[in-house]
Amino acid sequence: MAKQISQEELHKIVKSVPMLSASASQLLQLTAKADHDLIDVINLVRNDANLTARVLKIVNSAAFGLINNITSIDRAISYLGERIIVSIAVGDCAGKLFEKELSGYESAGGDLWKHDLRTAIASREVVTQSGADISPELAFTAGLLHDIGKALISDYLQGTVAEAVELITTEEGLDYLDAEEKLVGFDHTRAGYELAKEWNLPDELCEVILHHHEPSKAKEEYRALIYAVHLGDNIAMMGGFGTGADSMRYKLDQQYTDYIKIGPKTLATIMLNVDIEFEKLEGSFNGSGEKN
Amino acid sequence: MGQIVLGVGDYGASNTPSDDVKTFALGSCVSVIFLDPKTRTVGMAHVALPDSSINAAKAKEKPGYFADTAIPALLTQMTKFGCDKRGKGMVVKLCGGANVMDTNDTFQIGKRNALAIKKILWSYGMGAVSEDLGKNYSRTVSISVSAGQITLSSPGKPNWQL
Repeated sequence: MAKQISQEELHKIVKSVPMLSASASQLLQLTAKADHDLIDVINLVRNDANLTARVLKIVNSAAFGLINNITSIDRAISYLGERIIVSIAVGDCAGKLFEKELSGYESAGGDLWKHDLRTAIASREVVTQSGADISPELAFTAGLLHDIGKALISDYLQGTVAEAVELITTEEGLDYLDAEEKLVGFDHTRAGYELAKEWNLPDELCEVILHHHEPSKAKEEYRALIYAVHLGDNIAMMGGFGTGADSMRYKLDQQYTDYIKIGPKTLATIMLNVDIEFEKLEGSFNGSGEKN
Repeated sequence: MGQIVLGVGDYGASNTPSDDVKTFALGSCVSVIFLDPKTRTVGMAHVALPDSSINAAKAKEKPGYFADTAIPALLTQMTKFGCDKRGKGMVVKLCGGANVMDTNDTFQIGKRNALAIKKILWSYGMGAVSEDLGKNYSRTVSISVSAGQITLSSPGKPNWQL
């Protein structure tokens, strides 16, 4: 039997996670605003020498196939788009959390980052392909952060996978979220929400993290965004990029059709685009695509 | 012992008895497995989507990605090992094709993949002798070429055979 996490313990776990860097935190605040300009993003990055160096390294990696190297940060950011800048900033300062082996889900190190990146790409694709009135870039960022709670509770879930699967299989109507709560007292959305608050993430991102499995429970104003991430998350799992034992063992919130209009053919296009985009992005991030 | 690992949209075959043919974490994707008893060849395709008409360029670059292009491509590949080009005498098995719960059908890609594959198989006069399709969990598949034995695994469940 797994050990229950008390509210106090959860608080301690959250406090033990390093804070986001100042530039990552400001980038998340800035890009969540509907009316921000790319120039503000450029100015922010320019003030962080490490981030600037990373962005230039990535834009010049073989994955983007540029003939001439880009040396100016303005051009690099315009070329990559702000979603990639956000991924670099978040990945750099919270990399340990994302790369963590999720032993409580029987998932290897790096799986969480891949799942999050797939979800980010898929959430953005859901928005652009369905024509929903949501910022595609915000959907990307929200997708990237939606599952941070798994890294917090995974250690406590160690050795529970068979029990969790048994619970879901034998008790009608239960999904992995219910299993997490029964086994350790908190599910990954609650744990992630606590960390999001600690990190001072914008309200809409906190809400995505808390409600990404049940968007119908979220505040109306954020619901469309949360549905996009909810579908993005499911698309990532369907494509074979889950985080181990919980993959596909969640309910699809049926009211998504009120917010996102997609049919089977659009969904197929989204899944294909996610595969193509993921291959490109992953190659540029992990350095395997570096030019000599 | 060699291991042939097939990613999404890949297909491959082997008649080397010490080989294992493997694919990881099938979600809504379906693994099409051909076992040819005559030549002792094992072939597999990791199919992601039912219909190549959504992107002809991708289908050309990666025929294993779509049901309608994967099966002809896999059969052609297997002729290199002396197998019949229309799959005569082959044993067909299918697995994967998991679905999330969606009452309005849109997200049932696993189901649509399986149906599309069966339709193409019928056009060759082929049909699966066993299948482990659907449900709501991911599957990893491993086939030993020497025994033609197919082992499936999923976290939290004991391994099983197909």
